[in-house]
Amino acid sequence: MLDTVRQIETPEGVSLQLHAAGAVPRAHAWLIDFGLRAVVAFFLLVILGMLGQAGLGLGMLVLFIAYWVYGVVLEVWWGGQTIGKRVIGLRVVNADGTPVTLLPSVVRNLLRTVDGLPGVYGIGLVSCLMDPHGRRIGDIVAGTMVVHVMKRRAAGQVPNEAAEPPPVPLHRDEQEAIVAFAERARGLNEARQRELGDLLEPLTGRMGNAGLRKLVAHANWLLGRT
Amino acid sequence: MKQERFVALHEAAWMEVETWMRGTGRKAWSSALAEQGLDFPAQYRRICQHLALARARGYSHDVIDRLQRMVDHGHQVLYRPPAPRWHRVGEFIVAGFPRLVRREWKAMLIATALLYLPTIACLVLIHFRPDVAGMIFSGHKLDEFEQMYNPARAKIGRTSGTDVAMFGFYVLNNVSIAFRTFAAGLFFGVGAIYVLVVNGILFGGIAGHLDAIGYGGPFWRFVVAHSAFELTAIVIAGGAGLRLGYTLLAPGRLRRGDALRQAGSTGAQLVLGAFVMLVIAAFIEAFWSSVAAFPDSLKFGSAAVLWTLVGAWLWLGGRGRRRGD
Repeated sequence: MLDTVRQIETPEGVSLQLHAAGAVPRAHAWLIDFGLRAVVAFFLLVILGMLGQAGLGLGMLVLFIAYWVYGVVLEVWWGGQTIGKRVIGLRVVNADGTPVTLLPSVVRNLLRTVDGLPGVYGIGLVSCLMDPHGRRIGDIVAGTMVVHVMKRRAAGQVPNEAAEPPPVPLHRDEQEAIVAFAERARGLNEARQRELGDLLEPLTGRMGNAGLRKLVAHANWLLGRT
Repeated sequence: MKQERFVALHEAAWMEVETWMRGTGRKAWSSALAEQGLDFPAQYRRICQHLALARARGYSHDVIDRLQRMVDHGHQVLYRPPAPRWHRVGEFIVAGFPRLVRREWKAMLIATALLYLPTIACLVLIHFRPDVAGMIFSGHKLDEFEQMYNPARAKIGRTSGTDVAMFGFYVLNNVSIAFRTFAAGLFFGVGAIYVLVVNGILFGGIAGHLDAIGYGGPFWRFVVAHSAFELTAIVIAGGAGLRLGYTLLAPGRLRRGDALRQAGSTGAQLVLGAFVMLVIAAFIEAFWSSVAAFPDSLKFGSAAVLWTLVGAWLWLGGRGRRRGD
């Protein structure tokens, strides 16, 4: 398949679909994280700076946490998401689709050192663009990938119409196409609906709105409505 | 079975699982299960079966989509990482980490040589040709070192800063170096070799120079104790980096990607161990090594104990029967 969806078979015998995230949303998430950490670290440093030398030592521990610990702790114990990733709707998962665990998270965050070179994430960007699943070097070595968290779309309902069986037996993919059309047709404008419906004139024997109603009736029958 | 009937039949169960995952699914397993009385693993397997059925029967996109989302989400909930357990952390530090260091002894040996050979070379060179120190460091830096290790100071190894301030500095600085050493090893080991050799030269250079001008006493009294943890940790992080780079060059009988993942996982464990060692080292360095008032016997006696401790830990830790064998 020529897209970025990765199918993974689970022990339960069904496949998971992982939608690999590309460089741009990941850069957005990173920028949010970076800004957040910079602001928090800055304010903590200002406050700790008032405590004198000892505060300075604590401040360096804060910097250490912001730089090295933040990503690992949030990814492992907050469902694979840093704050930036949660805002953008990304998640880090292991190669088998399970939530990222400690060691892979440590590896991918340590190897930011490599991906970050030269300039700002130069190697990471190149790797991300070349890899079929958009992984940077750290992800490849850790065996992780960053995926989109898919939100549920509003369910499309097939409008009610007196059910009517199609005049000829239909293949399964033909049945699926008719039901999918009936579910989603309302998202299209009427002219486009009619244009698509007219393609099935050989099946429905009608053109225009009458043909559309006929298709919806077939869809109702295929869904098992009476 | 037609789609509408299928949905009507299972709608209630789906709703229940969906609400459970939205709400309590985030909480800890035990409490969530106790509250809801929902046998989630069984419910999840049932949803998986429904998805497979829906696919096979060619139900509409909408139904399949909904079930797919439930499966995706449920998979995340069911296979979440286990809660951290302290006894496993302890077990790793006492047994797992030394075992791992011994397993990677070749990389550790090379890393040791890469750090200590330049150190010794610099020491010897500067002993006979003191002007070499001026080639390694700028005059300004040399002045700074001379001030830090001036025998007249009450605190060795620094010109300003309290114990806590220096602790924070050592953690940030030394741990970052160790982490970067490991990561830079991915460039075919070149990064790790570079960091190890450069640190060896710097260390040998400082030691040689201070020895040459007669400040050797305070310097050795300062470094001898915490170096047991600090230098060993740098060697281990460097060794982990070398291992990573070598795996990229020669993956052995595995595919390169798989070999890299294994080396990455091993490396992460080694680096986590080195991290613990460096925090200990920073603690000793800030609160113990810097005190100039302790007599020589105490300084060198404690250092001997620490070096023996580190050696024995790495050499003996985790030997004998493993748990579960």
